[in-house]
Amino acid sequence: MAPLQKRALYGLAFGVVWAVAMIVVFIAKGGVGTFSDDQGFRLIVDGLWIGGLIFYGILMFTLRKRNQIDERDRLILGRAPVVQLWAVIFSLVIWTIVLTETYWDQGIPPIFMYIVFIATLAVSAVAQSIGILVGYWKGVSHG
Amino acid sequence: MAKTASIRNRIRRLRFDNNEMTQEELANRAGCTRQTIIALEQGKYVPSIELAFKIARVFGVSLEEVFQYEEAM
Repeated sequence: MAPLQKRALYGLAFGVVWAVAMIVVFIAKGGVGTFSDDQGFRLIVDGLWIGGLIFYGILMFTLRKRNQIDERDRLILGRAPVVQLWAVIFSLVIWTIVLTETYWDQGIPPIFMYIVFIATLAVSAVAQSIGILVGYWKGVSHG
Repeated sequence: MAKTASIRNRIRRLRFDNNEMTQEELANRAGCTRQTIIALEQGKYVPSIELAFKIARVFGVSLEEVFQYEEAM
């Protein structure tokens, strides 16, 4: 397995665990209602996503070694953002439709924009790794 | 999956003829990863001109002795 491929697998695994952990904590603590009323809960969620982001950055940095990425890896890496972009767009479309339909009569509370941001961030991190793995799976044919 | 490349190569044969050079050794000497050598040998990847020259130089042969261009049918 290529070092970049390994890095993408670690990134994907961490990203999924990170996203699931945030969802579980959010639901277990009482969801949107509690999030709105309880500042302590908001701080926990803040710590979780900011801490996850920092950990993700450290993981990617430590796995990155010079001379382990060649021209084929760079081609694959260059194509990964296509998957990332589509995943982010898809995520935003889903959020927009769900929020619009749910709160059509009430107006959308600003709190949901915060959730949209966190979700987009997590999706973006995971989708880049998926993009790299898809690149290896499909293969690049020309240098 | 990847399309079959129209440029074929004799890397596997040349490795065998050079004291059964390992993919890892060829990769190190050509400045790429072993996975790229594997992809090349399987015909799933066509290298850049630079990498092609480096590989030919490792074997001490001309570029065309390693890579052959074939018109797509």
